[in-house]
Amino acid sequence: MTMAGHDQSWLRKVRVHGVLLALFAVMMSPFYMMISTTLKTESEIFSVPATLIPEDLTLEAYLTVWEQTDVLLWIGNSFLISIGTVVLTLLLAIPAAYSCARNDFVGKRSFLLAVLVVQMFAPVVLIAGLFDVITSVGLFDSYLAVIIPAAAFTLPFNVWMLYGYFKTIPVALEESARIDGASQLTILWKIVLPLTKPALVASVTYTFLYAWNRLLFVLTFLTSSGKYNVPRGVFSMVGAVSVDWRMMLTVSVIGVIPILIMFAFLERYIVTGMTAGAVKE
Amino acid sequence: MSTAEDYIEKHSGSRIERAVGYLKRNSRAYLLLAPTVVFLIAVIGYPIFETFRLSLYEAPADTTVETFVGLQNYAEILNNEFFGQLLTQTGRWVVVGVLGKTLLGLLIALHLNANVKGRKFFRTAFLIPWGIPYAISAVVFRWFEHPQYGYLNTILQELGLIEGSIGVLGDPTIAWLGVVIGDIWIGTPFMAIIILAGLQSIPEELYEAAAIDGAERYQQFRYVTLPQLKSVLFIATLLSTIWTFVSFDVIWTMTGGGPINTTHTLVTWIYQTGIENGNLGIGAAYSVIGFILLFIFAMIYLRFYTRGGQEL
Repeated sequence: MTMAGHDQSWLRKVRVHGVLLALFAVMMSPFYMMISTTLKTESEIFSVPATLIPEDLTLEAYLTVWEQTDVLLWIGNSFLISIGTVVLTLLLAIPAAYSCARNDFVGKRSFLLAVLVVQMFAPVVLIAGLFDVITSVGLFDSYLAVIIPAAAFTLPFNVWMLYGYFKTIPVALEESARIDGASQLTILWKIVLPLTKPALVASVTYTFLYAWNRLLFVLTFLTSSGKYNVPRGVFSMVGAVSVDWRMMLTVSVIGVIPILIMFAFLERYIVTGMTAGAVKE
Repeated sequence: MSTAEDYIEKHSGSRIERAVGYLKRNSRAYLLLAPTVVFLIAVIGYPIFETFRLSLYEAPADTTVETFVGLQNYAEILNNEFFGQLLTQTGRWVVVGVLGKTLLGLLIALHLNANVKGRKFFRTAFLIPWGIPYAISAVVFRWFEHPQYGYLNTILQELGLIEGSIGVLGDPTIAWLGVVIGDIWIGTPFMAIIILAGLQSIPEELYEAAAIDGAERYQQFRYVTLPQLKSVLFIATLLSTIWTFVSFDVIWTMTGGGPINTTHTLVTWIYQTGIENGNLGIGAAYSVIGFILLFIFAMIYLRFYTRGGQEL
């Protein structure tokens, strides 16, 4: 390579890193804004014009939130709703996906395509019908009123994700177990599922995040403040008359922490899940 | 019994028998599938039916009294001056949102795909906006654009672009832009990750061949990257279009559709009329219009998935 070529590739490297860092700064700025605000004193938060860098750092806001809001309860409810959704959707998706991967039967193709279409039917568009159904079966203001729709809307992704993965597991492994007299459920539980771990982790993280993040179902079907999750709790602070910005942003920071922990450990699986539907081999 | 009837009975009997025989032989497959099918019919299928039915009724949410009104709800919508405005607002929301997400996502993906240091860290960081509750993102952007205490004001003043302060979300002409920025921020990571995966699936040999042929960088992008990325870009844009169209949490938390309804889209309006105003019938009729639009997107998506008779 010539000297000019070296110079060029060096320049290019600087440029690529420069642009990347600029994009990084832009995409991270909302987090900076959120965190820096919560570290200011109350009077500095409400000063005009806003200070871009906090003058005095204090954890006062976090103490106030700890004492005066139900943030722990909201996080607990978020976990309850997310875990409930994960359990329900996987209980349904695993057998269905396994059945499609191992058998050929009339209606399989229609089922898989219908499931794909369900994914398109966004919950908001169904809200009037869903409201009627939830109230008429007496589930209104119960956790199940949130868990059931969330499970239904994550089911398509999970069926397809697991179906695709089950197909890659050799049938031979199961056949030897069958000869030893194991039932199909035992085989699924003891032999197939342990091999499905990567797909299962992707399914669990996707479903968990979906249920953790969505406001709509909680906003529509839960009325008791004791059942609020994090998004609903934050929304409740938007208030009719005034907004308590300091508390709201502090709760937001706390509410994002569990997600950051998940991302730190499970990023690989989250990416697998995200790209599963769009990037075909 | 006449011979004709006899024949029909015998024939249909055997057909049913054959069907029963088939079900018996495949009973295990169907049994494993049954809970999911029943669940989806109950939670998605039936509400779809309910929505269509309700759209023909006057149905206040706070009572169980429903009055059949035929197509009156639809007539009311079509005669409402606001409907045209609502469609325009929905259109600009989707077009600007998807365009922003795609361009920003492409820019991020291209730079992540170059051999950069700490790529894994950057990829995780860029993903986070997509993974946090939409209501929280919306709150942060509301704070960013706050008419008195917002950082946006300080930044614009520092840059010398404004003298006093501006309240983006209170201004009927620009409020939707203030909201769409938040939605772009949330939707960009998906685009970036999908496009990055697409970029990584392009065979290195293609670039080597192009380099041997003396192609410049931008020519490589134009003649190798873009054509190879076509199908990934198509499906990502389609999915993003659907998700932008049905985006609810962000608008609802940032403005609730205001000021003077200028940030409403079709889906927030469904919620406003059906749930907030408690008129399930009208809300359902708006939903049916939403269904039709989603159905078109769904068909395009299905065509992509089943193209060329690929095995499922």
